[in-house]
Amino acid sequence: MFVTEWNSSALVKAATKAGKKKNALTPMTFSLLHATDFADRLLYKIIPPLKAGMIVVADRYAYTAFARDAVRGVDRQWVRDLYGFAVRPDLALYFRVPIDVSLDRLLARRVKLKFYEAGMDMGWSASPAESFRLFQSRVLEEYDHLVDEYGLTVVEAAGSITEQQKIVRRHVSALLEDAR
Amino acid sequence: MTPTQDALAPGANGGIQAGRYYGRGLPYLPLDDYPGRIIAIEGSDGVGRSTQIRLLRQWLEVKGYGVVETGWTRSPLMQPTIDLAKSSNTLNKLTFVLLYATDFADRLEKEIIPALKAGFIVLSDRYIFTALARAGVRGVDRPWLRNLYGFAIAPHLVFYLKIDVESLISRVLQARGMDFWESGMDLKLGDDIYDNFRAYQSRLLREYTSMADEFHFRVLDARRPIDRIQEDLRQQVDTFLTQSDVSTPAPEPART
Repeated sequence: MFVTEWNSSALVKAATKAGKKKNALTPMTFSLLHATDFADRLLYKIIPPLKAGMIVVADRYAYTAFARDAVRGVDRQWVRDLYGFAVRPDLALYFRVPIDVSLDRLLARRVKLKFYEAGMDMGWSASPAESFRLFQSRVLEEYDHLVDEYGLTVVEAAGSITEQQKIVRRHVSALLEDAR
Repeated sequence: MTPTQDALAPGANGGIQAGRYYGRGLPYLPLDDYPGRIIAIEGSDGVGRSTQIRLLRQWLEVKGYGVVETGWTRSPLMQPTIDLAKSSNTLNKLTFVLLYATDFADRLEKEIIPALKAGFIVLSDRYIFTALARAGVRGVDRPWLRNLYGFAIAPHLVFYLKIDVESLISRVLQARGMDFWESGMDLKLGDDIYDNFRAYQSRLLREYTSMADEFHFRVLDARRPIDRIQEDLRQQVDTFLTQSDVSTPAPEPART
């Protein structure tokens, strides 16, 4: 098994970091940098283990970009076409959580919400918590469309970790049984 | 996630009015009427673009136009990353294309569009056609590429400095020699840099030629002396600016 995380390629790290530090990213450069990161990981980290018969677990996938970039005002169809080079996952799990729960969880383990995570670049609110609520609510709406459009499997994530893990294992087992 | 043909329809192509977005554009940055104009100068490495742009800029400024220059991979956001990626040879064809597109997007939003809105003439040393040509020879899907650059603005004028591969080789050798990327060594056609340069640049020239009609290139023979090419450029730019009624700053009041 191989795990790959969103926004983790060494190639793009420097530019993403510099851009985020200076809050210098526009919706378009934000979108393109993440696609570059994804392309780099796809070719070096995702496709080789797949060819070797491994299971690749991706922490976030192109759907994250579809949701976030659309909220930032990038054309929806353009982003979908941009990721036309991506491999379609065999199973896409979407952990759905009400906005209040996700805000509470984030605030519980971190002092400060990150600038882009809270959608502060949109200038909708000077308060990070309020901006997060506005921005992520729109992101959740986008995800709801993606569930139908791409057949995402929804896991209700407000429940306990044990409960969620049971559901996840059931879906994964079913997939692996089918593949046999 | 293969895109459908339908979804690819509105990408970068020549059927678009100059000064507008080629495709879906930047929905959060609508282009209304703006007073500026964008002129792109395209052509191979070592064909003399920078010299022509410098001379053209001087002439335009003397005529009273405000001029802003923009050039390939010059965005502060991306230049360090692109340089690093090139020097460490970690680029594959997709990341190559996407890094260039990010650089272009950064310059488009932060340099080109503000300058156009402020009434400047933007001289672009290379434009998206360089990206289309380089990615094209590397086998990247053409409809995908055109869709990717659907956020670019169609320039008002595109000049293509055309040269044949023989003349290009002697120029590059006299000036500074052949480098890794200009020779397309990443394509791994062989070990000989001269053979690679010739093969790679020939392919690039074919790509440019195939785009000439699609994107309304004004082709200039780059084998001629510098001042002859410049004369040609100035004449065509002058005609265009006069016809499109681009205003220069108010003339000095007449002395009495």
